[in-house]
This record gives sequence, structure tokens and C-alpha cells, in this order.
Amino acid sequence: MQFMREIVRGIFKDNPIFRLVLGMCPTLAVTTKVENGLGMGLAATFVLIGSNLAVSALRNVIPSKVRLPCYIVIIATFVTIVDLLMNAFAHELHKNLGIFIPLIVVNCIILARAEAFASKQNVWLSIADAIGIGIGFTLSLVLISAIREIGGAGTLTIWGSFGWTISGLNPALIFILAPGGFVTLGCLLAGMNHVQTILARRAGKPFQPPLDFDCRHCTICRFGS
Amino acid sequence: MKELARLVGILTLCCLIAGLLLSWVNSVTSAPIAEAARAEQLAALKAVLPEYDNQPDIDIVSIPDESGTPWIFHIARKSGAYAGCAFKAVSSQGYAGDIAIMVGITADGTVQGVEVLAQKETPGLGARITEPAFRSQFAGKPIEGTIWKVRKEQGNFDQVTAATISSRAVLEAMDRGFNIYRLKESTIRESKP
Repeated sequence: MQFMREIVRGIFKDNPIFRLVLGMCPTLAVTTKVENGLGMGLAATFVLIGSNLAVSALRNVIPSKVRLPCYIVIIATFVTIVDLLMNAFAHELHKNLGIFIPLIVVNCIILARAEAFASKQNVWLSIADAIGIGIGFTLSLVLISAIREIGGAGTLTIWGSFGWTISGLNPALIFILAPGGFVTLGCLLAGMNHVQTILARRAGKPFQPPLDFDCRHCTICRFGS
Repeated sequence: MKELARLVGILTLCCLIAGLLLSWVNSVTSAPIAEAARAEQLAALKAVLPEYDNQPDIDIVSIPDESGTPWIFHIARKSGAYAGCAFKAVSSQGYAGDIAIMVGITADGTVQGVEVLAQKETPGLGARITEPAFRSQFAGKPIEGTIWKVRKEQGNFDQVTAATISSRAVLEAMDRGFNIYRLKESTIRESKP
């Protein structure tokens, strides 16, 4: 029961992109195609599960003074494993994601979950957390990349040649370029916060942003309080 | 001091286990990775070479250019006779990093096909050099008598709309390869498997 709750929490309440606002670099960089967003999300999920599992299992062995180097070694190991496996068995995808795979090492979502969750909870819940956060990350990437791909290229590529071309659309290239990434992400973030505010007001409670999510300067949040 | 030794010990152990695990994964995946890379190269060769019945990925001639960088020419043979060759060229003049292409030449000196092996150009703009609309204009063009430049520079080829830099980089890489081919055509033709 709690297992499921942790998974759902990772997808909605602690969504890494829209609620925790972590891992912005890969988010903006890979979301030019749904295929890339999906691949990146799945690779990061695998690393998350592996690192959360290892960190949680070793939480009583690793002294707190050297915990960060240990976490980095664990994460880097899993990333290298993903990199090698992908290169061997999903060569096409590996070519597309290229430099982003090694960069998962410095993806703050993974280190944040190791530090904030896995180092304090048991293995079972840590796996649930990793699955939830991983699904949340993947779905968010797919959402952003779908908007950017449809808007910027007029296509929707799920995998390889499987996808659709949306006809009658005049694609605006800016969506696929870097500025489009910022605009799409900003609009989605603002929209999500707005919905949260409305929901909170209906329930008669002030809108509480997550504690590690500093948005004191965001006017949307002020409407709720 | 004892505390320090414990910290160092645990960190060392952690790295040791990680190293062992990685060496095992590496030993398992190195063969499939090499296999995938070879399959990828063969697929590119198959796309740009005329019909062949040898193994062009190992039947190669290496020719150094003026700066000493070797150019690898893959030779295609049909029943032992020279059928054509293909070379890989890398242009550093792309808009976003290097562009690697594979160009195939038939025995009578016309271009058989061009494949883009690797590029990091802008999706939707420069990345359209990979589309057949751009690449197909090279097939069937004789190396001699064709100006290997984009139309903007009085050449014979259409650039991808709004991506002149990427189009120019592809043609620049091809042209450098053709220069080597012109100089050493006899070496390539007379090579033995």
C-alpha cells in the first residue's frame, strides 16, 4: 500500500520537473523529440532504481562524511552500465542520446533522491520512490517533447519510424530550438502552479509549494495564500 | 587517525566493487558493441556502394592526405572485379560539431550515394541534410565536371533551406574526398583484396 503511495507521490506531488524543478539541463536539452525524451526518461529511471537500491542497502555502512563521493561512485557505475548496455543492444537510440547518457551522472534528480530519500528509508520504499520519480520524470519529458515536436516539426515520433505527421500545421521552428524549450517549460510550470493554486483555494487551504522549491518571487503562489 | 583509515577503507572498497562490476559488464558488452558498430558500418556501405559480393568493411585502402591523416577507401568487388569504392569524410565546418558522411563512387566515376553517419545539426533545419531530398541530388553525378558546391556559391547543388552552413559542410567534405580519389584513383582501382 505504502509502496503504491510512494510511486504516486513521485509522479504528482514530488514530480521532479514540475514540482521539485530538478534536472533542468537534460530536460531542456533532449526534449526536441518524443523519442529522445522517452529514451532519456527510461535510462534515468533505470539509474535511479539502481542507485536508490544501492544507497539504501548501504545506508548503515557508508559513513556520512564520505557519503557524497560514495553516492557519486554508485551513480556513475550505474550510468556506465546503462551506457554500455544501450550501446550494445539499442545502438540507434544510443547514437541519438549520445552525450546525454554520461551526463545522467550529474543529473541532480538522482543525487537528490539518494540524499533526501534512499539514505533514510528502507530498500523497498526506496525502490518505490525511484520508480515513482522515474515515471514522473519520463512522463514530464514526454509531455514537454510532445509539445515541442508537434509545434516545431509537425511530427510526433514515438519510436523509430513509428509516429504521426500532423498535417495542416505550419511548424514554428523556435519550439525545437533552445528558446522554445525555455518558453514551453515556463508555460507548463506556470500552468501547473496555477492549477495547484485553484485546487488549494477550493479546498480552503493555502497553496504550499514543496519545501525545497523556492518560489517566493512567483506571483502565482501569492494568489493562493 | 583510526576514523580516517575507516573512511578511506570504505571509499576504496566502494570504488573497488564498482570497478569489478564495470569490468564484468564491459567484458559482456564489448563483443555486441563491436558487432553493432560493424553492422552499422556495413549498412552505410551497403547504402552507398554499387552491388558487391566481397566484404568492403575489411577490404580497404588507406591513403594519407597532405597532413598525414589517413583516408580509408572501402573497395566493393563483384566476382573479383573492381565495382566501386566508398570513403568516410568528416567535416568540421558544420553548424554544431562535426558531420561525418559516407560517399560511394561507382567504377565509372559517378557518385552512387551519400549517407550521413553522424551529425549534431539543429533539428528541423541543419539536420535535414540527412533527408533524401537533399542527399538524392548527388546520386548519378560524375565526379569530373560537377561543381561540388551549393548554388549560392555557383555550385550544382541545392542547399537545405535556411541551412547553408550544414549543406556546405557536407559538400566540402565530399570535395576533399574526391580530391584524394582523383590523385590516387589508380591505387584504389588496382588494389588487391
